[in-house]
Amino acid sequence: MNSDYLLLTIFLAVAIVFPLIPLAMAWAWARLFSPAKPGKDKQSSYECGIESTGPAQVQFQSHYYLYALVFLVFDVETVFLMPFAAAFLKLPVSAFLALMVFLLLLVEGLVWAWAKGILAWK
Amino acid sequence: MLTALLPESLLVVTALVVLGLGVSMPKARTTSTAITLLGGFLAAAALLLFPIDGNFLHGMVVLDPIARIFKLVILALGLIAAVFASESFPETHFAESLALILFGTVGMMLLTGTEDLLMIFLALELTSIPLYVLAAFNKTSRASAEAGLKYFLIGSVSAAFLLYGLSLIYGVTGSTNLLAISRATADPLLTAGIVLTLAGFAFKVAAVPFQLWAPDVYEGAPTAAAALVASGSKVAGIFILVKLLIAGLGHWSGAAGWGQFLPGWAPVLALMAAASILLGNITALVQSNVKRLLAYSAIAHGGYLLLGLSSARAETLPAVLFYVIVYALTTAGAFGVVAIVEKQSGGSRLDDFNGLAKSSPGLALCLLVFFISLAGIPPLAGFFGKFYLFSAAMENPSMLWIVILAIAMNAVSLYYYLIVLKHAFVLPACGDIRPAGSPASRVLVAALALAVLALGLTPNLLLSHLGKHAPAKVASLNTENFSR
Amino acid sequence: MILTATFLSAFAGAGLILLLPERSAALARWIALLAALAGLGFATVAFLDFDSAGPHFQFLTNIPWIPQLGISFSTGADGISLVMLVLTGLIAVTGVLFSWNVTHRTRAFFAFFLTIIGGVYGVFQSFDLFLLFVFYEIVIIPKYFLIAAWGSTNREYGAMKLTMYSVAGSALVLLVMVAAYAASGAHSFDLFTLADPSKAHFAPGFQAWAFPVMFLGFAVLAGIWPLHTWAPTGHVAAPTAVSMLLAGVVMKLGSYSALRVAMTLFPAGLDQWRLPIAILATAGIVLGALVALAQKDLKFTVGYSSIAHMGFVLLGLMTLNLAGLGGSVLQMFSHGIIGGLLFAVVGRMIYDRTHTRDIAELGRMNLTKVLPFAAFTFTVASVASMGLPGFSGFIAEFTILKGSWTSLPWLLIPTGIGVVITVAFTLRALQRTFFASSEASTYTHPLDPITLPEKLGAVILMAATLAAGLFPSVLLDPILRSFQSPLMHQLLK
Repeated sequence: MNSDYLLLTIFLAVAIVFPLIPLAMAWAWARLFSPAKPGKDKQSSYECGIESTGPAQVQFQSHYYLYALVFLVFDVETVFLMPFAAAFLKLPVSAFLALMVFLLLLVEGLVWAWAKGILAWK
Repeated sequence: MLTALLPESLLVVTALVVLGLGVSMPKARTTSTAITLLGGFLAAAALLLFPIDGNFLHGMVVLDPIARIFKLVILALGLIAAVFASESFPETHFAESLALILFGTVGMMLLTGTEDLLMIFLALELTSIPLYVLAAFNKTSRASAEAGLKYFLIGSVSAAFLLYGLSLIYGVTGSTNLLAISRATADPLLTAGIVLTLAGFAFKVAAVPFQLWAPDVYEGAPTAAAALVASGSKVAGIFILVKLLIAGLGHWSGAAGWGQFLPGWAPVLALMAAASILLGNITALVQSNVKRLLAYSAIAHGGYLLLGLSSARAETLPAVLFYVIVYALTTAGAFGVVAIVEKQSGGSRLDDFNGLAKSSPGLALCLLVFFISLAGIPPLAGFFGKFYLFSAAMENPSMLWIVILAIAMNAVSLYYYLIVLKHAFVLPACGDIRPAGSPASRVLVAALALAVLALGLTPNLLLSHLGKHAPAKVASLNTENFSR
Repeated sequence: MILTATFLSAFAGAGLILLLPERSAALARWIALLAALAGLGFATVAFLDFDSAGPHFQFLTNIPWIPQLGISFSTGADGISLVMLVLTGLIAVTGVLFSWNVTHRTRAFFAFFLTIIGGVYGVFQSFDLFLLFVFYEIVIIPKYFLIAAWGSTNREYGAMKLTMYSVAGSALVLLVMVAAYAASGAHSFDLFTLADPSKAHFAPGFQAWAFPVMFLGFAVLAGIWPLHTWAPTGHVAAPTAVSMLLAGVVMKLGSYSALRVAMTLFPAGLDQWRLPIAILATAGIVLGALVALAQKDLKFTVGYSSIAHMGFVLLGLMTLNLAGLGGSVLQMFSHGIIGGLLFAVVGRMIYDRTHTRDIAELGRMNLTKVLPFAAFTFTVASVASMGLPGFSGFIAEFTILKGSWTSLPWLLIPTGIGVVITVAFTLRALQRTFFASSEASTYTHPLDPITLPEKLGAVILMAATLAAGLFPSVLLDPILRSFQSPLMHQLLK
């Protein structure tokens, strides 16, 4: 029984070590042969352009997140709808009712989100 | 099959109605609460009037008398949280909080009625996610946001562990049904699966070393949410853990006795129990916030429950189930008192309880009942629960080591409960206190105190039902290898 | 049923008092007095009704309570129980009388007081281990509140220390109870069943650890040396009625339960641990007396004297012969009365008026002239405490010493020394407090005269100890006869 996992263990070890080797070599090369020598002209804009001013961090609009959430829900709903649609003609009425319940639940969620003003950009 | 899930369906419909109400009439808080309670009572009526037993959807929905008792208890706990919600949740989005409580309750009820790994995970998530949101519900409080975030992050990680463990178990045994799993053969990978699954459930029960979320969540979350977390999710978590360990993994229980070690999940549970009892009680000694104190007390009580489970005998099952119900009712009541006091004094630190006996003697008396029951002093239910639990665990005399620890730490725990009661009964109030709290909350707190007293004086009210149905359930799960 | 009425009347009284509105606080005292009198009445009627030629255990009640664990509501009484029940009644009534002046949160005070009384009544009549433990624990929590809220010196610390010690002792008892349930094989908590060797058997190895743990657990409440340090601090911190309760009956809960439960269940363990416990008891007598001799505070003196007297009780228990055991139970009664009386004088009569317990300061107040009744009562109590013939203490201690001579003769030497030291510190306290100065009082404020309730209470207690001293057979006969029952007889060697 142990031999089944022995192979896996070896594989795991190799899998971990294998990518580490080039990374380690790159790091070692950078450390030993190409140390950083920053200079003013090296950091300036490529080809042309204005020098950047101000901090790079732009405040994230949390509203994007809310839209993404609502989108994700309906996207997954669509995923569920697709096989249902494909097999629609062969399914009994009860399946249709069940999926209608599912749809209506999500529609109520959309109505709720709409009424609460989540979909309005503020 | 539809009638099997009738109570849960009724609750979902109620939640949707309340959501609709919240959108159309945001100020109607009492109406929302009333509709929630109405829906809850209808669901309870459905549960009692249509006692269906059976196995539906290949074990995804399994109903038997024990499951029905627990569904009823969880429903009651959800409604209790809904009543206390009016004290603790902010006025904006109030109906949404009720809807979330209902959804969480549905999840917990589904959790008690299943014997399938997939359904377990689904119900667990349905329980947890509303609770994550409820913990963060108070938008004006930084502590609430911290509570919600910590609960969500740690909960998600533990859900990941749980899912990985469940999938490993599925991979080894080839089935998601607990009964089919119990007939599988052992495998080292199964051990990994069991350990990971236990890690996921230990989070739910707040056992060491998966307890880091509990103090911050209990302290920061709105008190009604903390009440639901403390009572409901513990009951559901313990029940499904019992089912999983007995029905599914009974063959690999091992033994946790002193000098009788056998590898399995019982020693793991015993170690977690011992650590929880120690950490929970000792850390609670130095707390100055009552909600945080109740969190550490919850950790300790999780330890006592796991102690009962770790003895891995069928006789301890009625004791564990009895104690978790008693503990849930007591904690829900305690949090109710805290919610009312928070409204009165503006906080839940020890000093906010000063002079409670003078300003609200009835409330102080209820607080006495709840805390003394948690400390395990007769004639209250908490004492009998602990007594029964320890007696049942001692059926295996080699469990003496952990019973000694539990009884010793239980004696220590009286100290911190008395400190809270000292502030309520002995120390004079700092300033004027105007009694607050809606009549419904006060009546509910009193009813819970009476229930704790009644269960302490006549535990047979609950014990007869558990004692009648639990052994039958165990026998039906065909686990002759389980009890030693 | 009459036995159940004792604790039911106490609990009913407590419940009734809690329902009183705020302004009827004075009514609370009367309800408490009525409840206490009712309890005393029931206990006395039961004592008188006890058929001395009939079965050993009478007034039996057995109602199944929790069949899953073999727990039943099983109560009854034999001579020992009845003596302790009468003691409880006396202490309850006099405790209420000596608390007549409590004006701060009266209702809560008497409600807690009656709850303790109810619990104590319950312990003395229980013959089911679980039931006994339930009553035993009911006593713990009200003690904390009574001391912390109505006490005096260092009350919060004293209350917590007392409660934690009590709970620690109870934890030890609970541990053995839980272990014994599984180990006996009888699946019952009925004392008669468990103590019957034919029905329940405890392996000698089990008894070797179970007995000392359970005995010490109970003996913590009895003030066994060296686990006694809660008692002086707690007694001093407590208000008068609670000190009377503590010294009067609560400490007896420990020794009674040790006798009734620990010693009967584990005879083999008792054999092994008998001598060490007897030595600890004797140490309590001597060291308690020595420390009392060094006290400057009158209440501390009385507190340590309680330790010394309880040492006698425990010594008597370990003699394992009729004289010693009978004397031990009589000493429980006797010291209950005398201890109650001593604390009543020190707390209610003296401290409530003079607000000091310092012996030197009190000596300068010429209390014999200002409070003659208090002086008289304290003299009678001291004399009884010293073991003067004519009072109950003499009979009890003499019988214990006789029993000790038969089975533990070497311990008589330190015990005798302890008796002498007891006389010394009692006389010292009496003389220095009341008979120190013959000149006029230096205390300029007039002291309130002794009120009628205090006089009534003092007279009751003094009469009790005198009656028991002059007619000891009234109590000793039932006590000694109860050791003939199969349950208790197995103790005798």
